[in-house]
Amino acid sequence: MTGFLRGVNPLAKMFGPLPVMAAVFLTEDLRVLAAFTLGTLVLLLVGALPGWRTSLALVLGVPVGVAVVAVSFGLWVDPAAVADTRTVLAFGPVELTRGGLAVGLVTGLRLAALVLLAMVSGLTTTGPEFVRASVQHLRVPYRVGYAALASMRFVPRFGRELEVIRSAHRVRGVAGGRGPVAGARRAGGYAVPLLASGIRHAERVSLSMESRAFGAAPTRTERHPVPLRVRDGVVLLAFWSACWAVPALVHG
Amino acid sequence: MSTPETTPTTAPGTTPDAAATPAARRPRPLTTRYLMTCGAIGAATGVLLIPVNLVAFGALAAAPTLVAALVGFWLVGGVIALALLQRPGAALITSVISGIFAIPTPAGLTAVLTMAMVGVALELGFAVTLYRVWSPWLFYVSTAVIAAVYLTMVFPAYEMGSASTLAQVMFVLTLFVSMVGAAWLGLLLARRLAATGVTRGLAPVRRPAATTATTTTAP
Repeated sequence: MTGFLRGVNPLAKMFGPLPVMAAVFLTEDLRVLAAFTLGTLVLLLVGALPGWRTSLALVLGVPVGVAVVAVSFGLWVDPAAVADTRTVLAFGPVELTRGGLAVGLVTGLRLAALVLLAMVSGLTTTGPEFVRASVQHLRVPYRVGYAALASMRFVPRFGRELEVIRSAHRVRGVAGGRGPVAGARRAGGYAVPLLASGIRHAERVSLSMESRAFGAAPTRTERHPVPLRVRDGVVLLAFWSACWAVPALVHG
Repeated sequence: MSTPETTPTTAPGTTPDAAATPAARRPRPLTTRYLMTCGAIGAATGVLLIPVNLVAFGALAAAPTLVAALVGFWLVGGVIALALLQRPGAALITSVISGIFAIPTPAGLTAVLTMAMVGVALELGFAVTLYRVWSPWLFYVSTAVIAAVYLTMVFPAYEMGSASTLAQVMFVLTLFVSMVGAAWLGLLLARRLAATGVTRGLAPVRRPAATTATTTTAP
């Protein structure tokens, strides 16, 4: 359940993959992109240790996704823009050329690598961890950070409030009727009351926070320290060096 | 909610009559009520970002035009906050908070960076006009500019340069409609929210507000 990436500081997981993403974004080399995709996939499976369900979805989903992109982008490609126009597959009047498939494959691998690199942090980091790390190390004002933390508690409240608003609307016969149009109109009617109740709640919460002296002192103590350790630096440097190491390895 | 007795506790510098006292000469820009209001809008729009991001990453594979249709959701929160609160930083704080909600999606922590960029981009138009213009046209111009800049970023990413002309036109049109439509939706929601009175004492009243009347143009 606990891969080593979960213990890494969120900031390392944020800034580590960024140059790699830029490298993936800029490269056109099919083999380099494939190496980045495969490498990140292995890192995710080993480092994040997601449940077998997520692992299976990753292992099966990545090749399927790349294949779908390769075919769909290959079909969209302007036939005049590619050199190799030998037909691989034909769907009636639409033909999938070999050159189009190559462009599609590069796009598919690039998107897969980008998504997997983003998932390195997505699968192993929670919102509160990230907020605490940025308050403690990025000099984000703690009042802003703790406002973000407090607003996370709003979500379950939104669910309850939505039930109340839905019942109230039903009792008053607001936007009745059947079908998708009436349903969409009903859903649209929930937006303003839900936001208004959220803002009202925000005012009450801010009063109660300030009555407990929130924001009275320039600094504050932390209940959950998120330290920057040596291993965070190692992870960061490992990601950064991969930008050069992977293309170099692929090209021998 | 916002009775005169409560305002000294929440926001020493925000009430018009408090501006006369020396203590309010330097109003605290980030009052807790302002931050939590941004937080509430960010939470509401951030929860929406989770399914939007999941659908977008699923659709990334087959239909980039669908992704272009969904990008408007990134802007709505910032537009609501900016139009409703009419204060510097509202779009940035709201957008970043809504990005934090989108961390458990395939976007991961890049969602926060993306939303921070969206927030800064939304703020730019208002910063250039020194936060004096809050008319709807500036929202529309801002989002159109953001759409144009975003277009130059994603066009190469989706290999759109080598796509057929029809696909290119559809992509560009969808992107612009989605983003400018988000500005329209955000302004509409902000107007309705201002009418409920929940931001009384928080949003300034002296300016011709984008939230009170669409016809007002000049101060």
